Amino acid sequence: MARLLASEWIKLRRSIIWLLLPASPLLAFVACWRSSLDSGGAQAWREVLAVGAMVHGYLFLPLLVGIFAALLCRFEHASGGWKQLLALPVRPAAVYGAKLAAIMALAAILQLLMCAAIAGAGLLRGLDAPVPWGMIGMSAFGGWLACLPLAALQLLASTAFQSFAAPLAVNVVFTLPNMLVANSRDFAPWYPWVQPLLAMVPQDTYGFGAFNVSLETLLAVIGGSFLVFLCSGLLYFVRRAV
Amino acid sequence: MIGRMLSVELLKIRRKLLWMLAALGPVGVIGLQAVNYGLRYDYLMKLYGDSPWEGLLRQVGSLMLPALFIGLALVASMSAGIEHQAGAWKQLLALPVTRLQVFGGKVMLSLLLLLSSCTLLLLLTLGMGLLLGFDPQVPWAEIVRQSYLPYLAALPFIALQSWLSIVMANQALPLTVGTLGLVLSMFSVLMPAWMPWGWPDRAVRSADALQAAGSGLALGVLVLLIGYAHFARKDVS
Repeated sequence: MARLLASEWIKLRRSIIWLLLPASPLLAFVACWRSSLDSGGAQAWREVLAVGAMVHGYLFLPLLVGIFAALLCRFEHASGGWKQLLALPVRPAAVYGAKLAAIMALAAILQLLMCAAIAGAGLLRGLDAPVPWGMIGMSAFGGWLACLPLAALQLLASTAFQSFAAPLAVNVVFTLPNMLVANSRDFAPWYPWVQPLLAMVPQDTYGFGAFNVSLETLLAVIGGSFLVFLCSGLLYFVRRAV
Repeated sequence: MIGRMLSVELLKIRRKLLWMLAALGPVGVIGLQAVNYGLRYDYLMKLYGDSPWEGLLRQVGSLMLPALFIGLALVASMSAGIEHQAGAWKQLLALPVTRLQVFGGKVMLSLLLLLSSCTLLLLLTLGMGLLLGFDPQVPWAEIVRQSYLPYLAALPFIALQSWLSIVMANQALPLTVGTLGLVLSMFSVLMPAWMPWGWPDRAVRSADALQAAGSGLALGVLVLLIGYAHFARKDVS
């Protein structure tokens, strides 16, 4: 497994991904820096974080997870890489797991950049309260966790489709309804694609522990959809003809 | 000649997902609006009072723009991807056609697909309004305007995405640029008027809709020329 991960790293090392990762944090940074705030003190940090989370989590984060998945499978789709990779003495399930781990690692780097962007923007504005690392960190971690089901589904789509844009089309189809779902009190907690946003925007009321989403959402929606997508992806990948 | 290039391109996408995608955009937008109206019909009807058509157009427009922004990136990437995937650029350019025709054919394909999406949206919007039993007095001018002006205003982005998708083998970059465009367009109300991300939005609702569409058309042609100049000089691998 460690070797498979190392091989994913080698494939990514000099790829275009490093150019793409800062795009969303940079945009969120500008938004956090320039947006107008209503409050001061610790509440101001909360507002800055909410602005950053809206810019980043609404569409960018879910769509980027799809781009990561498609990019990681692109190396294999081009020039018969799947055959080569699976001819090695590795279990297909391990290959699949390594790909999923690589997607989530990229998402983790993205979320760390987001933390830096939000903290940087807040400091640049000269907010008087100290940086609330706990709140920012929990928001980024929650957003990351909520990406798990999306990553699993996108990996399934990316292994199934040869073309780069087709799995992204799947992603877009599910992510665009966020624009309506995010405003709905009844449906938002149940829709997996809007969870990265909900998990990132700081909430006052309902939320489990330090998370911004409730325990039911955390377990049932994020955990449940992750399991469903992961199992169907694994079954498909292990059984399909290369 | 360009007509023949286009028919070749259309042949290549027969039975591909691309057509489905072009249809899925408008069907998805209207489908979501159907759910939206189904769930909160009374609220929406009260909100827009005596001009239900205008309300419907407003609701449709708010979903149509993001769908257009990301859809154009996907369509451009998929139509160029046919060639990238098969490694067919070399072969295509070895045929007795000019680079202008090759580039033009790809761009025309994207333009045609998106135009059919806009037309389908027009028909579906009309159908939904009539099904909901809105005033039989259909505001034709507004529906046609909302369906096609954003398309013209988005032309710079269609041109940019086509250009990037054609010259880059790795589609991750064009699609990230497309996603960036989508996110920027959502915050375009905060931008000064000269920035093109806000043009499609202005083409939907503001008084200077025609101006936004006109600027889109002009900038789109300019970006296409730059893109072609790049493609014409590029070494194809």
